Amino acid sequence: MNAAAGLDLASIPERIQSEVQRAIQRSIKGVEYFASSGPTLGSTPKDVLAVRGTMNLYHYRPVAEEIYRVPILIVMATTNRGYILDMVPGQSFIEFLLKRGYDVYMLDWAAPRPEEKSLAMEDYVLDFIPDCVRRVQQDSGETDVTIIGYCFGGVLSLLYASIFADGPMKNLICFTTPVDFREMKLFQNFSDRRYFDVDRLVDSVGNVPPEMILSSFEMLRPASRAASQVQLWENIWNDEYVKSYRMFDRWATDTLPLAGEYFRGITRDLMWDNKLYNDTMSVGGRKADISSIKVPILHAVAEHDHIVPYDAAKPLIQKIGSADKEEVMLKGGHVSLVAGANAIKRLWPKLDSWLGGKST
Amino acid sequence: MADKSNDPIAIWQTMFGEMEKGFNAFANKAMESPEFSKVVNQVGGVSASAQKQLGEVMEKYLVSMNLPSRAQMVGMAERLQGIEGQLNEIKALLHQVVRNDPNAPEGGHPSAPRPPRTRRPLSAGGDQK
Repeated sequence: MNAAAGLDLASIPERIQSEVQRAIQRSIKGVEYFASSGPTLGSTPKDVLAVRGTMNLYHYRPVAEEIYRVPILIVMATTNRGYILDMVPGQSFIEFLLKRGYDVYMLDWAAPRPEEKSLAMEDYVLDFIPDCVRRVQQDSGETDVTIIGYCFGGVLSLLYASIFADGPMKNLICFTTPVDFREMKLFQNFSDRRYFDVDRLVDSVGNVPPEMILSSFEMLRPASRAASQVQLWENIWNDEYVKSYRMFDRWATDTLPLAGEYFRGITRDLMWDNKLYNDTMSVGGRKADISSIKVPILHAVAEHDHIVPYDAAKPLIQKIGSADKEEVMLKGGHVSLVAGANAIKRLWPKLDSWLGGKST
Repeated sequence: MADKSNDPIAIWQTMFGEMEKGFNAFANKAMESPEFSKVVNQVGGVSASAQKQLGEVMEKYLVSMNLPSRAQMVGMAERLQGIEGQLNEIKALLHQVVRNDPNAPEGGHPSAPRPPRTRRPLSAGGDQK
């Protein structure tokens, strides 16, 4: 070793050789990348129980010989597809739950059609979720249901749980769910009521286009898309990296439009008036106060969440009425909390140990 | 093993990561200003209005060409959606009937027998509690 420079001279030829090999691999794999499609996502066997406009209810086929009594209904965020929770075998939250003996249903969303622009918050909270709960009860033969809500699916689940506080929800799990919308600072600024005319937007376009939703997410980290493409090129020789990149990139860009009235309601009630945090929220004339929720709740938040900052999610556990409540902060970001290597090590086992005893 | 602090590739990667973070932080700071919100929403508002006007012109054009307009297609889609909903209801009812039928063939969705709902969490020793 050259002590003065701290260089390991013996390793230099080895390093050069490795870089040359990678450069060759990049050229070969680069061509392969454009010539091939990405991995198949969301392939865990499932049955479609109901399709009603934007609402899709799936039942995943159990794989364990014995399953827990209480079924799980996952409520997805309305902006994204549910396959983030069912990427590929070995990296699928759904597969993990099935192997651990849970009976899993998912309320996933299709893009609302132009004629569905009038869907409002009450359609989601007072119609779609109760309808899916009823169908899960009917299909499983059980009265109790555990609900898991991801991101805005968590907000919808909270609203549902607070309005239907007498049941049949047995447990509630929220992933990165915002409650104090003042703390979503950049989204607050994008929708500043002095300059953002939500009525003009909704009246002009009907449903809010997915490109607009995607742009608003990407603007939170404007350099990251270009940086991720440079990183992809650097790592294109690495099949595992490329597979993971393709899965997450496909999901992130597969954003859904939002029904116009629903978007108007979110902007007015949550972004502008912060009604969920201020305990003044109502849906379809029914008061939705999260302090009325008494079922056991687990809230998982991510340490480096740039979409739902911790300050926006923190009040959930403080305000909820349940005696059995727990917040768990895990390393990772908004997506890596629930999917990918981080989630496999951290969130999934935590959820299983919390929920198993409450599902009998 | 090569020392990472002297590896030019590792140095480049670290520097690149820091540049990304720095640019994001700088842009986020700029986006927090009311001026940014004003400009973005002015541009967005103009684009939404233009889209609306274009839609109206296209609607008139399609009518003059004796082609179905968007409103007519939406009406058609609504009817299709209604039919689709009814089909799904019928399908759900059929599944229920098949499941309740003791003579129904085994295997296949959804009449396949479900596992018993008797599972209990594993104890620390690996036994069911």
